[in-house]
Amino acid sequence: MITAVLAESAKAMVSTVVRSATVLLVVGIATLSTAMSLAAGAGNAQLSAKLGPLAEEEGWPLLTGVVSMITAPAGLLGFGVVLSWIVGREFSEATVSGLFALPVSRRSIAAAKLTVFWAWSAATATALTVTCALLGLALGYGTPSDADLLALSRLLGVGVLTGLLAVPTAWAATLGRGLLPGIALAVMMIALGQIFVVAGTGAWFPIAAPALWAMSPRDVSLLQLLLVPTVALLFAALTTRAWHRLELDR
Amino acid sequence: MTDLECRRVTREFPGGAGVHGIDITVAAGKIHALVGLNGAGKTTLMRLMLGMLRPDHGEVFIGGRPITQLGAGTWSRVGHVVGHPLAYPELKVRANLALAARLHGVAPGRTHDIAEEALTEFVLKPYADKRIRVLSSGNLQRVGLAIALQHRPDVVVLDEPTNALDPSGVLLLREVLLRRAAEGTAVLVSSHHLDEVARIADRITMVNRGRVVGELDPGSPDIERAFFAGILSDDEGTVTP
Repeated sequence: MITAVLAESAKAMVSTVVRSATVLLVVGIATLSTAMSLAAGAGNAQLSAKLGPLAEEEGWPLLTGVVSMITAPAGLLGFGVVLSWIVGREFSEATVSGLFALPVSRRSIAAAKLTVFWAWSAATATALTVTCALLGLALGYGTPSDADLLALSRLLGVGVLTGLLAVPTAWAATLGRGLLPGIALAVMMIALGQIFVVAGTGAWFPIAAPALWAMSPRDVSLLQLLLVPTVALLFAALTTRAWHRLELDR
Repeated sequence: MTDLECRRVTREFPGGAGVHGIDITVAAGKIHALVGLNGAGKTTLMRLMLGMLRPDHGEVFIGGRPITQLGAGTWSRVGHVVGHPLAYPELKVRANLALAARLHGVAPGRTHDIAEEALTEFVLKPYADKRIRVLSSGNLQRVGLAIALQHRPDVVVLDEPTNALDPSGVLLLREVLLRRAAEGTAVLVSSHHLDEVARIADRITMVNRGRVVGELDPGSPDIERAFFAGILSDDEGTVTP
């Protein structure tokens, strides 16, 4: 397992896909959020309508709220693309045949891919949180209060949970033998998440839980949030099983 | 000494393609060639031997043990290129060799030396610090062969190893395989180049329509004629495997 993790880390660290996604997720979300916060603060009516109750906030609560709100869907897409690539590339680049007949089992290789992805997504979520904190200071919001620090830690939580939500894309990329099925699933999950939020199904639907928690923390229970890692574990198990049983028959 | 053996191996795909009841033994210290037309079942057979496909019937053995029961130790003594090499475009040649060595069970402290030896043996030093994505297909094939052979496996399976190689690459591969076989490695290669396999193979098995249809004598003066005669006989139903 350690060998597989080292191998996957070596590939991820020099990957253009991973590097680009990191920049887009951290710098992209931070830039967009800052622009939206400033525009809402300046009284942009259309944007305020989009932000709902969040538009009534200012300073740290507005910034952390906007970043969290954007992170849930954008993060799922970004994390989903990266995990689909980490798994699906072996099929689309045909390197998967070289992963047979090795002393390292394919189950370990799949687990290593998920481990490296999880570590990267957690690091990216951390980088986004730190960037958000630095932006708040740079924008002159002053020293964050306890409530602001709690909001920042919630932002980190939303990022980490969103990374876990992307795990089913690894399973889709394996079953579909390529990147696109995983990416398609990520897009579908974002759409479903939006639908369930609008439909008022609430946070019992794990895809919607991080987004709802970001917008309204008091309305989401710990149990509902714990469904997210549960789903991730379930799909991690399905993915490693699919790799264990893999055949090059199509 | 490790043999590679198929016993009555069958794997059928929808439409009837696949391999049907193949028996074949690749002995330690020998080069065994599979020859056949496109679609004859050579690659399918090699995939079955390496666990990339599961047989409907029959079993594959390495060193006398079914491959379904092999541990990491035995798999670390196997090397192969069946399809695209285990080489990642974003990594440099040297890094790919080191990564593959680790995945083949080479101890961390040895991977650097193993990779350097492979760079020398396969004349890849000039490309050591180039990324795989910029290599020609011939040099990519060399890297793939280096990856398959650098950890000194006891069993080697190579599907069309001379594909994309230039004449010097073909010569290099020939020398490497002969040397490895002399050291006791069991080598299975498939090829369309009958003259080439006749130069290096100890045994040549003909495969047609998913079945073994006979053997060719590597010393035969007109191996091409013998090959087509064998295939034609099978197609006309005059040979019983």
